[in-house]
Amino acid sequence: MPKMSSRLVARPSFEITMSDSRTVFELQDIRRTYQVGSEFVHAIDGLDLQIQDGEFIAVIGTSGSGKSTLMHTLGFMDSPTSGQMSFEGEDVSHIGRAERARLRSTRIGFVFQSFNLLPKLSVLDNVLLPLIYGRQNPTNKKELGLSVLERVGMEHRASHRPSQLSGGERQRVAIARSLVNKPRLILADEPTGNLDTKNRGRIMDLFGSLLDEGITLALVTHDTEVAQYAQRRIRMEDGKIVEDDGR
Amino acid sequence: MNPIVDIYTGASNGLREVWANKVRTLLSMSGIILGVAALVAMVGIVQGMLGNMRASFERSGGVLRLEVYPREAPESQQHIAGISPGMTWRDIVAIEKAIPLADYVTPIVDMSWESFIANGRRERSMLHGVTPDYAGISNRKLDYGRFIADSDIDAKSPVIVVGSYIAGDLFRNIENVVGQQLRVRGQVYTIIGQFEPTASRGFGRSRRGWNYEDRMNYIPATTAMSRYKGDDGVNRIEILASSVEAMPDLMSQINNTLTQTHRGIQDFEIRTQDEQMQELKKLENSFTYSLGGIAGISLIVGGIGIMNVMLASVSERIREIGVRKAIGARGHDIFIQFLAEAVVISILGGLFGLVASVGLLTLAQDLIPQGENISNMPVTAMFYGFLFSSLIGLASGIYPAMRASRLDPIDALRYE
Ligand SMILES: Nc1ncnc2c1ncn2[C@@H]1O[C@H](COP(=O)(O)OP(=O)(O)OP(=O)(O)O)[C@@H](O)[C@H]1O
Ligand SMILES: [Mg+2]
Repeated sequence: MPKMSSRLVARPSFEITMSDSRTVFELQDIRRTYQVGSEFVHAIDGLDLQIQDGEFIAVIGTSGSGKSTLMHTLGFMDSPTSGQMSFEGEDVSHIGRAERARLRSTRIGFVFQSFNLLPKLSVLDNVLLPLIYGRQNPTNKKELGLSVLERVGMEHRASHRPSQLSGGERQRVAIARSLVNKPRLILADEPTGNLDTKNRGRIMDLFGSLLDEGITLALVTHDTEVAQYAQRRIRMEDGKIVEDDGR
Repeated sequence: MNPIVDIYTGASNGLREVWANKVRTLLSMSGIILGVAALVAMVGIVQGMLGNMRASFERSGGVLRLEVYPREAPESQQHIAGISPGMTWRDIVAIEKAIPLADYVTPIVDMSWESFIANGRRERSMLHGVTPDYAGISNRKLDYGRFIADSDIDAKSPVIVVGSYIAGDLFRNIENVVGQQLRVRGQVYTIIGQFEPTASRGFGRSRRGWNYEDRMNYIPATTAMSRYKGDDGVNRIEILASSVEAMPDLMSQINNTLTQTHRGIQDFEIRTQDEQMQELKKLENSFTYSLGGIAGISLIVGGIGIMNVMLASVSERIREIGVRKAIGARGHDIFIQFLAEAVVISILGGLFGLVASVGLLTLAQDLIPQGENISNMPVTAMFYGFLFSSLIGLASGIYPAMRASRLDPIDALRYE
């Protein structure tokens, strides 16, 4: 497989001419620049990327190379400073806060290294939380919540508090939460970073099984073993993709 | 998108948060609780006191009552002032005869404070000599017996109608004191009537009332003149007009009649209750505004307390805000959530305040005089106290809620 820094480098200008309807994301010349005092930090520095439906991508790279920033950008939590970005065929380079919130709640599931469950809510309520903000009001909310908990093998802990669970269990609940809105794409920033080897394996198996349901997956990891689960590996360095074995 | 769902979700989140932080919430509510309780209780107590004053005003004839007081003759008449006989029984007769607009006329022969003696007990109370018309002016009810009659006036009878104070204190074990005898300044009187107490019925207290009216006792005016004064002078005249419209005519007719009986000397003045009415209203207003101001300030202080707690709550929950935003909450959702929390706190505070105020008023009922028309709760004050406290909660929640809603999700998630 040839290594390419990017597939889209040669394209002269961005148009919404998606190669096919199976393209989830298309990013071109994305930059994210932070100003710290008088200095500029280029967290993402001219990045091109295309993500196809059903792909399982692992993003690797040294600390500070911009992996999290990329995830935030893909997850509509952050906007690029410049560049073109389209999602499901729509230009999303300049969408506003409300539209980004809508996409976060309906199209994207996010899984964090530190789980980020709300400690005061039960496991089930944590899982149901995205439904409130997604504005869908399914009638069988509770069953839906229980079914995704079942999917991750946590339905027997539905009424527990997150603090009563182990790290691996918490991450499974967090994955259930990311699934409840039936997202197109799940993004995970070092989801196994806080887990031991055994739990790491279980979580990765779980992610793997999601692919069968047509979910697209992108995760950041430092762990080469974890990266082996993915079909496509992207290496970042200084805010750029320096290696991509998926094409 | 759907405001009802937003508010419902916000309120239930708010309630959960309130429940999870019971102690802190209670502390932050304390300002609102105290503010509402103080407002309602103070208004209730003041309304009670003013209600008593108003009731006593109404009992004494209200705005229809006129009083004629003696006065020094004007400068221009000083040299001939001696030709006026002053205020006498003849004035009463003249008014009764000449002025049909006056429904009731009575002289007041004012003996002021006297010692009343019976059963070996002695009690100080007030004694007035009046005519039967007094009953029509004062409008007071008798528990037992009758009021002074025309025959008592003609015969200068040694009879007395006593208030509940004398009845209760001199004859402790006797419910109906009619027929009993008592002495005033060496003169013996037979009790023919006993007034109903003006207040405190139904509270299990003695028959003894708490208003000054309960310390008033009446004998026939002619008896007072012959036994104590030795002439037919009267201290003042009380008149009840037939209607408010008749008042101006009545006043000039009284003026004409008395000018005649006083031989042209203007040594009397006619007073209406109008001024007293105005005074009462002024008093009510000043109480309302000063209490409203104090309560308003304490509610604002309560609001600052809520704002303080909400700001603390926001910075304590930055991470939670980040999580909620990351999974799709808009700024607006977070805003509603925190605002609802502040409103829930203040509404609960307001409700607790109302409960506390009912308690305070129940306690105060045993401490302040109560009239028949005031034992109920000040509903208007309750309504406004509650409304105002909710609005304060809303206002004090806006700034913290805005801070929360504007947090950037990534910054918030990174926050330790
Ligand atoms: N808010 C910010 N202000 C300034 N610089 C920032 C900010 N966020 C990120 N950066 C910088 O951007 C660069 C990329 O950060 P990012 O968090 O994406 O790295 P990463 O690849 O996820 O690293 P790690 O593996 O340690 O998580 C870093 O140099 C970081 O210091
Ligand atoms: Mg990172």
